[in-house]
Amino acid sequence: MYPVCVRYLGREDAKDVLQEGFLTVFEKIGTYKGEGSFEGWMRKIFVNASLMQIRRSDALRHAEDIDETPESGGSLDYGVLEQISSREIMDQVATLPQGLRSVFNLFVLDGYSHAEVGAMLGITEQSSRSQVSRARSLLQEKIKKLYERKK
Amino acid sequence: MNERSDFDELLRSRLEGMSEPAPDVWEGIVKGLDRHRRAVIFRRFSVGVAAAAAGLAIAWLVFRGPQTGEQLQVPVQTAQHVDVTTPGPVTDETPEIAPIAEQVAAFTRNQSVARAEKVDKPSTPATAVPVSDQTGEPVEPKTEPQPSVATEPAANPAETPSVEPNKPVEPQPQLTEDDLPDGFWDGDDTDTRKTHTSQLTIFSNLTAVASENDLIYKASPSHASSQTGKGQATSSVEPLSGSPKFFVPLSAGVQVAVPLTERLLVASGLRYTYLVSQYDMLVNKEKFEGAYNQLHYLGIPLELSYRFVQTYGFGLYASVGGAAEKCVAQRYVYGSNTLREKVGGLQWSAQAGLGAEYWFAQRAGIYFDPSLVYYFDNSQPLSIRTQQPLQARFEVGLRFKL
Repeated sequence: MYPVCVRYLGREDAKDVLQEGFLTVFEKIGTYKGEGSFEGWMRKIFVNASLMQIRRSDALRHAEDIDETPESGGSLDYGVLEQISSREIMDQVATLPQGLRSVFNLFVLDGYSHAEVGAMLGITEQSSRSQVSRARSLLQEKIKKLYERKK
Repeated sequence: MNERSDFDELLRSRLEGMSEPAPDVWEGIVKGLDRHRRAVIFRRFSVGVAAAAAGLAIAWLVFRGPQTGEQLQVPVQTAQHVDVTTPGPVTDETPEIAPIAEQVAAFTRNQSVARAEKVDKPSTPATAVPVSDQTGEPVEPKTEPQPSVATEPAANPAETPSVEPNKPVEPQPQLTEDDLPDGFWDGDDTDTRKTHTSQLTIFSNLTAVASENDLIYKASPSHASSQTGKGQATSSVEPLSGSPKFFVPLSAGVQVAVPLTERLLVASGLRYTYLVSQYDMLVNKEKFEGAYNQLHYLGIPLELSYRFVQTYGFGLYASVGGAAEKCVAQRYVYGSNTLREKVGGLQWSAQAGLGAEYWFAQRAGIYFDPSLVYYFDNSQPLSIRTQQPLQARFEVGLRFKL
């Protein structure tokens, strides 16, 4: 669950949320009815805990402003991803701006729909869609640069 | 339309298994949870069996009734025993046996005081209450000499007991409860000195809710947002429709009962109750999921109870009453924030129930008091009481006679 928290919050805040998430798991373990995987149930708790932390830090206040960020980056040869370790990829995800990172994590990595992401973060579905697109471009650009540095 | 690109899928596959435990770890956790669930079922079954056994025990006590006949036999049979075995020259004047009988009876009382003290002892010596050996029923006093005694004079008169036949009978001191050791209780609660004693009760209780698991009651979604009342009129918190959860209420308190008659008592005191709910809420227009609401109530109960069974330290009683409770503190906990709000008005309730008590010492007892409680709609904050006004309450506690 630590990587899940790191993806949303970065390494430092992830530790606090990890602890909070496990406390919630212990507290609510009796409510797990065996419907769906236990891993999925736990992952949801840690995602929620991470989002709560983001909300508390008010990092999403300017999330809408990110819509104004010009879409940059370019096409990435997906073969590059094979040359980079998972940890490096995760670190690159963690360097995305908070708003973009949250949307990207929820949609791309945790599999929520844009409607769900919008409801969870209090933004419109359209905003979610455009932010995912921008996050994707930005991440591709970062990975590309990383790859070139490594070469 | 699939909005996820190949890049997304590739990225996801790379990050998905990172540092996560292998699937068999999750399976192990799920198996562990299954074991825990089975343990919970077993525990519930055990509690059910224990409750049934307690019910049977109480029923046995109720239908057995008091058994005073056995108490009457004890000293009288002792007197008869002395009558038969006294080897001295006995004439037809049986009253001379009485002093011996009294002494032996007194000795017996000193050895095992508990039941003998409760006998309706005759004011004159033992000749007044001869009893049949077989039935224990009183029989007519015999004025004729006992053949077994009269025809068998003592072989050696010197060995006869040093009881002088015609010595005036000295009254034996009556044992009172004050002569009993401290903490000794004779098991009889019919004495008015005891039953007319005020009682101090220290109690704690759990309130039963329709639970889906051990400690949490999940309510249906339809009630959530309509339960804020006058006390919340200015609240910056608004419960949202969803699935509120209510933790089992906890209460504790003290109560003093004053007897009105031998069996009727009126009781009042102070009761503290702690209620916890969890639901989605809007705090200053911002939504928080699964936030907690904690309520602290202080109340004054007033109860009237009637003891319809009192035997051998056990008692059964019925009680009715009510309570007025004031919410002295309310706290919302959402994320790492807390918000305190005042609550106006009083929570009124009415209750009726049956109870069982057992006095394990002269002045100390334990009791179990299941009852039904109805909480009136007094515009209190959303809680299990507003959600489920009729509740079963199970109270246990200690009682002390003052």
